[in-house]
Amino acid sequence: MNVSELTLLVLRIGFLLLLWMFIFGIVYALRSDLFGQRVRKMNSQAAAAFPASAAPAPAPPAAPAAAPFTATASRASPIDDAGMATSQNTTRLVITSGPKAGSEFPLGTETITIGRSSDSSLVIRDDYTSTHHARLMLWNDEWMLQDLDSTNGTFLAGSRVTVPTKIPLNATVKIGATSFELRR
Amino acid sequence: MGRLHLPQKLRNLELFLLLIACFINASAVVLVQLGALGKLDPSLVLLGAGLSVLVISLHVVLRFVARDADPFILPIATVLNGLGIAMIYRIDVADQQSGWDSAAVRQTVWSALAIFSAITVLLVIRNHRVLFRYTYIAGLVGVILLFLPLVPGLGQEISGARVWIRVGSFGTFQPGEIAKIALAVFFAGYLVRNRDSLSMVGKKFLGARFPRFRDLGPILSVWAMSMSVIIFQRDLGTALLYFGLFLVMLYLATGRLSWVIMGMGLFLGGALLASQTLDYVNGRFNNWLDALNPDVYEARGGSFQLVQGLFGLAKGGLLGTGWGQGRPELTPVPQSDYIIASLGEELGLAGVFAILALYLLFVARGFRIGFAGQDDFGKLLAVGLAFVVALQCFIVIGGVTRVIPLTGLTTPFLAAGGSSLVANWIIAALLLRLSDTVRNQPRLVV
Repeated sequence: MNVSELTLLVLRIGFLLLLWMFIFGIVYALRSDLFGQRVRKMNSQAAAAFPASAAPAPAPPAAPAAAPFTATASRASPIDDAGMATSQNTTRLVITSGPKAGSEFPLGTETITIGRSSDSSLVIRDDYTSTHHARLMLWNDEWMLQDLDSTNGTFLAGSRVTVPTKIPLNATVKIGATSFELRR
Repeated sequence: MGRLHLPQKLRNLELFLLLIACFINASAVVLVQLGALGKLDPSLVLLGAGLSVLVISLHVVLRFVARDADPFILPIATVLNGLGIAMIYRIDVADQQSGWDSAAVRQTVWSALAIFSAITVLLVIRNHRVLFRYTYIAGLVGVILLFLPLVPGLGQEISGARVWIRVGSFGTFQPGEIAKIALAVFFAGYLVRNRDSLSMVGKKFLGARFPRFRDLGPILSVWAMSMSVIIFQRDLGTALLYFGLFLVMLYLATGRLSWVIMGMGLFLGGALLASQTLDYVNGRFNNWLDALNPDVYEARGGSFQLVQGLFGLAKGGLLGTGWGQGRPELTPVPQSDYIIASLGEELGLAGVFAILALYLLFVARGFRIGFAGQDDFGKLLAVGLAFVVALQCFIVIGGVTRVIPLTGLTTPFLAAGGSSLVANWIIAALLLRLSDTVRNQPRLVV
């Protein structure tokens, strides 16, 4: 049996195509890793709570744009008497504003990563959150908030976080349209 | 893609990719038979089927012990291993070898052993942090394995390099391949424990912070180790591999560019010195810089192999000659060091780029696992293991394509060689284990 030149040519090109289809299949499955998570349409209420004009501009610490969000912080107990959040006095993370306001989850000792990427511990999918936005971690038993060079910033009690910062209990951390607090 | 984090979805995606991978491997063997023999030879179905059964059993093990493991590593490793077996089989056909003597059958048996070791690693190591406890033991094992070939009576010298040991009548084994895993574990554990003194202190000079003299101990000892590999084992590639691994992990742990600058300076200085004083290093440099000179080409130990490989790649062109229709057997050792040239001849530039893309994806997955890691040891280990694969590819493929001087290393997963297969499948297993422990389910999705 002799295989014709033409068959071999077709098979040769077919094999290369198959190989490349396999590669593109993997890349397609990986697309969220390579190009970031797809943005979920925000509902109108959450979008209204976050003025779009404030989003791109990196707000200076006392910018008026951050003002509406300190309202939640003032409602909570005063920061100074609560002290800093440590692994002993903090048990849970509570979402205080945004689409999932009111939900909470317990804190252990592991690092909590926050971002749009689905391998974050706290996944926030809105227009203002970066893929890997920020993280909460324990340093010497105290919870620290670190911004991972996010585009729109992480705000602790209204001021933008630039270096890893200790988090007071009940202080509002704002990422995109979502705020949360660490509580007893 | 949030749904991908449901365990069964991840494994189902892996199974789907794995089936495509097995189909690619089977069609490669069939195309070799059509191209080189002109007919189908059903007796060699075992070549394709053997590997498929093995990887699917590994997949089933993952369903039970590492449900959240990364779904891409196994299919990528399978395709690379299968393409390697197909090319080795193709060269067996050219050399008219068959049965249990042929390299392809041996490679399949070694793949079986390698995948069994991967399964064992997955079953024994249920959490990568266990490895952290054995940091110094791993370091000792790594150094012993690395220098085992120098023991008289045990070591075996093949074509100048002394990196093999003889294992009974069974064949030879390259312990240095396993050493790279042990050393990656050691470097990760050591650097997590001691990085503060390596990263915090030192004088600022020209914009970079340089370490104190007394903190140079680790880098100098690893440098001395690599230099002794160059001098006593006469193997440039292995030395570069280990030193590069240490340097990258040091950079990751400390975040200081000055270590990389110093390390590269040390290694380049050492290599230049070696090229002046050691004949074999000098020869390698000469073959690299002056490859197409007829005198060098015809000299004993000259650039014949290198140039032959380049001719093969050139013959392949854009789409290659097709499986079984080139003459890769004209290059010396076409199935191990030069397998990338053989594949380039028969699959062309499109095929070589596909293979490089597979390596890129494999390494990128490793980096990604390190990035998502929660603990520093896991992060360093994942990136170290992935980087060692990348660096090995660069050293050997760079050597074959004349980017850097040629040094003998195996192409991960592709090249004929049992120890390399075992080591790389163990690396794949460790990355799978790391990705399983690292990947945390989101606590809350907003």
